[in-house]
Formats: sequence, structure tokens, C-alpha cells
Amino acid sequence: MDEAAWILVAGWVAAILRSATPLLFVTLGETLSQRVGIINLGIEGEMLAGACFGFAVAATTGSPTLGLLAGGGAGLLLSSVHAGLCVGLGANQFGSGLAVWMIGLGITSFFGRSFVGAQVDAAGSIGGSWLEGMPVLAQLLDNLSWTAPLAFLTIAVAAAMLYRTRPGLAWRTVGEAPDAARAAGLSVARIQVSGVLVAGFLAGLGGAVLSVDYTQTWAQEMTKGRGLVAVGLVIVARWNPWLVPPVVLAFGAAEAAVLRLQAGGLEVSSHLLAILPYVVALAVVIAAYIFSHRDGGMPQGLKGVFAARS
Amino acid sequence: MTGRHIALRGINKRFGALTANDDVDLDIASGACLALLGENGAGKSTLMKVLYGITHADSGTISIDGVQQNFRGPFEAMAAGIGMVFQQFSLAPALTVQENLLLASPTAPWLHVPGSRALTAVLEVLARLAPDIDPRSRVADLAVGERQLIELAKVLNLNARTIILDEPTSVLTPTETKRLYGFIETLVADGAAVIMITHKLADVEACADHTAIMHRGRMVHAGPSADLSRQQMVELMIGTASPATADRPSAPASTTPRVIVRKLAADTETSSVANIDLEVCAGELLGIAGVVGNGQTVLADALVGLHPLRGGDVIVDGHSVAWTPKPRIPDGRVAYVPEQPVHNAVVPDLDLSANLGMRSILQRRFWQFSRQQQDADARALLESADVRPPEPMRKAGTLSGGNLQKLVLGRELAGAPSLIVACYPTMGLDVAATRAVYRNLFEHLDRGAAIIWISEELDDLLDYAHRIAVLHGGRIVGVRDWASASRAEIGDLMLLGALPQCA
Repeated sequence: MDEAAWILVAGWVAAILRSATPLLFVTLGETLSQRVGIINLGIEGEMLAGACFGFAVAATTGSPTLGLLAGGGAGLLLSSVHAGLCVGLGANQFGSGLAVWMIGLGITSFFGRSFVGAQVDAAGSIGGSWLEGMPVLAQLLDNLSWTAPLAFLTIAVAAAMLYRTRPGLAWRTVGEAPDAARAAGLSVARIQVSGVLVAGFLAGLGGAVLSVDYTQTWAQEMTKGRGLVAVGLVIVARWNPWLVPPVVLAFGAAEAAVLRLQAGGLEVSSHLLAILPYVVALAVVIAAYIFSHRDGGMPQGLKGVFAARS
Repeated sequence: MTGRHIALRGINKRFGALTANDDVDLDIASGACLALLGENGAGKSTLMKVLYGITHADSGTISIDGVQQNFRGPFEAMAAGIGMVFQQFSLAPALTVQENLLLASPTAPWLHVPGSRALTAVLEVLARLAPDIDPRSRVADLAVGERQLIELAKVLNLNARTIILDEPTSVLTPTETKRLYGFIETLVADGAAVIMITHKLADVEACADHTAIMHRGRMVHAGPSADLSRQQMVELMIGTASPATADRPSAPASTTPRVIVRKLAADTETSSVANIDLEVCAGELLGIAGVVGNGQTVLADALVGLHPLRGGDVIVDGHSVAWTPKPRIPDGRVAYVPEQPVHNAVVPDLDLSANLGMRSILQRRFWQFSRQQQDADARALLESADVRPPEPMRKAGTLSGGNLQKLVLGRELAGAPSLIVACYPTMGLDVAATRAVYRNLFEHLDRGAAIIWISEELDDLLDYAHRIAVLHGGRIVGVRDWASASRAEIGDLMLLGALPQCA
């Protein structure tokens, strides 16, 4: 391939990375939450809250960084409702998650109205003059802000924390065998609350990346179910942070392929094409089921969510 | 650290009406292995849980080297160098051996660098205990005996100098048992105190320097193991007769077998029975004696057709009632009173009416169902079974143990069954409830039912059963007629599986 073709590829890769970055944060967050044994369907609402309040702060202050931090904070705040309900009161995780989702939807629809059409600056690009003479790399990096590398760094740190440190071992034990964790003197409740709050921060951050950095607009219900997609991608990624990037990028590539097929004039209903990414995800889950452990790496503690606890 | 001495004085512990520990004294010396012997329910585990800080005694003191201790929880006991390995393990099955050990070790580093010195340090004890266990394997993939060794390694990693092992050999293979004995000797030689809760005399002979024997909550003997013969230990464990609470049922009228069990064999993951041959006549009460964990549960399940047979058959009135792959509606020929009725015989969150209707609901078409009819039936059954309070709308879980058992007996025995299999039917019941259960069962004997009664109360078996079969290691090791049965002989069979060569 000549250089022009490589530049084209670099452009696509940058586009996929940009669109996948919010989902990387959100999927990582849901993975960590489920690793401590809490399913969080409210992640959709937390992502929306992050997108709305992150955008509002970025538009008001003019600082995308402050906006992203505020988005994370909004997600964390909303997730504390889920943590309080599930861990504190022992509420049903599905019910609590759906409630948090609806709260996020309502609050952002109400407070977000005045920010529709507002202007924000995107996070800074990581490209620059130092890339002169490397047109392929320049094409890639000029189109990327620092949020994409941050996502990969966060995932690496989270995975290292989970598999290579004492607190990580404690988190995994809580998710796999809460009784054994209790016997080892760990505070199961504290660790589960931490997991849910970290997940809430990452979901809010992902939402803010979506509104502040990627689309640079705020629209009501703009996450369009991406938080719930993250819940599904956690299963595809087998609850393993290291597998979050390949799974999310494959999903993003499938989405990008849909757009290109439509642009190419393919005579198929756009509604049908839009299900392609989900078909891919389903195929991966089925393949994982057939070729590996039946439970696909699910933390054993999650089984208690589906059955009555005695 | 040598020469440490732990003294328990005047320990009392009651659970409701049950006295688990009755003024118990015990001395534990370091550099020695103490066997704490007794039947199930003798109070051994309770006493050790008091020492470990899990259970708090109603009264009594624990002192270490003369200093009185008041452990508020296991962590304070651990800090004082006391560790306990339970029968039920507290390992995370999905994690690896090494991860489980790291989790329990207070000295484990914050950062887990693979292969680093700090990570391999937690494996040293395990490497000596069981060199062939791969620390990278998941605990879920290990055998039960291997998991126990990991629990033991966990306790030893905490620098425990007093190690309590709860029935350690009950889950081990002979090879693993031998290795454990060897390791206990090493620990004792290092100056540790090892306390082994057991009911196996083989454990005592293999490694116990001292023996303490409990019976019904009381310490009946404590001293050097060499002071007692096997015979004496068995007598102390089994105890002497206590007064009966009901009259012995009259002898069966016929000697023709109504129930025939032929070469029955069945397995679960943890236990198995084989080569079971039994015959029970109409009106006969056959007791199955044995220490808990010798295959009682799988035997009962297999007898009533709830568990598949590996071989043999169970014949009642000329019909096989053994397990068939196709679920069948119970025909009322066999009744089952399972152990722990609150878990195995009722739905605690449903009302009494629904619990009583469970049998008949299988036999009715759904359009034949009538809640009024079910409630009326329930009311009648509650009255006749003397369940108190007789309220059909009350949840089953709120009944007392005795009334719950009456409810189960009333439901299961309503259809005049030919064979009744009862598993520990009076466990945990007070005297009045026990008497009611016996009276109910004996009425069915008079009617001509054959009863197989699995019990660990040797006194009760000797008082009421027409014959006693002894189950040991999944096999019937002897059957005795009540007239010729001797407490000592049955005790030997229960605990040793055979009679001593020279009496």
C-alpha cells in the first residue's frame, strides 16, 4: 500500500478510536462494578449525567478538562444512590439500577435544556508540529485528543490494580466469594461501595467525553443506550479489563462499517444494518460459551443477584 | 514460646433448651496433640468455637499462661496465636491457591510482582504440607483433601501456635490422612499445640498425646491417651443409658418381609453406600445406627427413590420403588421424613395450607384445584396432627421445630404408606415434641407399616427399635436384634466398623 492508502487507514482508526473512547471508560467502569458483585444498570443514567453536567461545566468555564472532571463527579454522585440502595439497604440490583437510570434521564432532561446549542472547546489534540514528516502518524494523532490515550492508560492501571495488587485481590475475592472475603476480615460492603463509585466516576467521565470531546454538543438522551451496551460488552469481555479495548474497538469498528456501508449505497434498511454490531456481540458471547468456561468468567458472587439469598 | 498453657475453666454454653457445654474444664499444653473425642452433638465444636472467639460462653474463663483472655472475635484469638481449620472451608473457589493464601496473609505485599520473593513466601508452608499442589491452580479444581491442606497452610501462615482442627480426617483419603498425621507430629515437635476434634479412634491412636472425651455437653474424661483402652474410650463416648420417654412398640405380628432392599448401591460426590441388604416386616421398626457422615443421607434418598441407584433394588409390597429417570407421581407407598425438615420438607415462606397441599396438588388436574378445598383439608390435617397454632394462613417458617415436624409427619403419613423412612426425626426437638413424633410413628407400626429409622441417638434406638443395623463407611457392618443388642457392641461397630478381635 502506498502512503495515501495508509493515511486513509489512519483516518479511519482515529475515527473509530474517537467514537469508542466514551464506551471504553463506561465498559471499564461496569466491569469493575461487576467484579465486586454489583450489576449496575444505572450506568446509562450515570453516563447521561456525566454528559450533561460535564458539558454544562465545560460550556460555562470554557475548560474541557474541568468539564470532564465534573462529568466524572456527576456520575459518581448518581452512582452513590445505587451503592446506597444495593449495598446499604440490600435492594434488588436490577430495580435499583433501573431507578438510577430513570433519575439520570429525568434530571438531565430538565437541567440540560438551557445548554442545548451551547458551545464547548474539545480537549486538546495530541498531534502537533513535532509530527512533521510523519504524515500517517500525524493523520492519526492530529485527530485524537488526550482522552483516548487516557482511556487506555486507565484500563491498564485498573487491570494492573485488579490482578497485581493486594486491594485488587480483595476486590476480586469480594466478587467471587463474599463469604470467604468476610472470613478473611475484608469489609465486603466497603469494597462494593468503592467498586460502584469508581464505576460511576468512569461512566460519568465516559459520558462527558462523549458530549464535550466527541460530539461537542448536548442533546437530550444523547447516550442512546450506550451504557446498556457497556453492560453487554462486559459479558463479551469476560469481566476482564484487558479484554475491554479489543471488544469495544471491535464493536466500534462494526458500527463504523455500518456507516460506510450506508454511505456506499447498500440497499438495506438502515434499521437492519444498525443491528450489525449487536449481532457481532451476540456471536462473540455464543463463541465464548461454546469454546471456554460455561460461565464465561462471570464472578461467582453475581450468581446471588439472580437467585434469592438465604 | 514453648511451655504455653491454655486453661478453660467452667465453660457453660446453652442454645435455647440445649446445653452444649455444661461446666467444662480443659487444659491445653503446647508441644502436644490433644484429641477432643465425642459423638456428634457432644459439644466439642462448641467448646472450640468458644476458645476461638466465634461463640461466646455464657459463663467460664479462658486463660493463657495464667492471663485471663476475653476474645471478642476470631481476630483477637488469631492475634493470640490460636488458629482453627473448619470442616466448611472459607476459600474463594474461583481464585488460585496462591491468591487464597495471599489474601489470608497479613504480611503479603501491596504490589504482587509475579514470581517475587514476597509472593512465594506464602507458599513455603504449603510446599512442605503438600508439595504436589500447583499454587497456580484454581481452588475449585482441587480435591476436598487438598483444600483442607490449603486452609491449614492459611492458619500456619498466621503463625498460629495453637491449632484447632475440626474433624480433619473426615474428608481425607488414607494417604492424605497419613500425611496430615505426619505434619501434626512435626508441628508438635516444633512446640505447637494441636487440638483435633474427632470421633475417630484411629486419629487418637495415630497422633494424640492427650485425650479429652465429651458426652452430652460434659467433659467425662481428660488425660494421657495411653491411660485408656479403645473399649474404655468407646464407653465414655457413648455414655450410659438414660430413661426412655415412651413405651417400646409391640413386636411385629408377622415375620414376612414387607420391604426388601437388595444389594443397594448409590453415590454422591461426597459419600457412597454399597452392598446394602435389608429386610423389614410389617409393623417392624428397623433402626440404622451410625456416626453422621457414614452415608446416611444418600441411603435415605436412595431408599425412597429420590437418588439414582448404582445397583440393587428397593422392593415394597412386591413393587420396585427405586429411582427411575422419568419423574413419577408418588403413589403413597413410601413416605419420607427427611432430616432438617425446615430445609428439606417445607417451603418456609409459604403458608401451612400450601405446604400441606403439596402432595395432593401433583395428583390433581389444574382445573380441579380449589383453594377452599385445600384450606379445608389443611384445617382438618392440622387438627388431627395437633399442629399448634392450627392456622392454615400462617407461614411454615414461623412454626417451632416440633410443630413443623408434626406438620411434615401429618402430610407424609396421611396416605397410609407401607414404608416410612425417617431421618433424624427428633433432632433438635424437646422432650414433649420427641414423644409426639414417636407416638405418631408407632401408630403406623401398629397399622402394619414398616419403618426404617435413621438416628444417631443410640439410646433411643436401643429403647425402641426392633432391630438395629449399623452403618459404617457406607456399609451395613452388623445387624442386632433388640433383645441381644448390647450398647458396647453397637458402639464398637459404629466407631470402628468391626468388633475388636479379643473382647
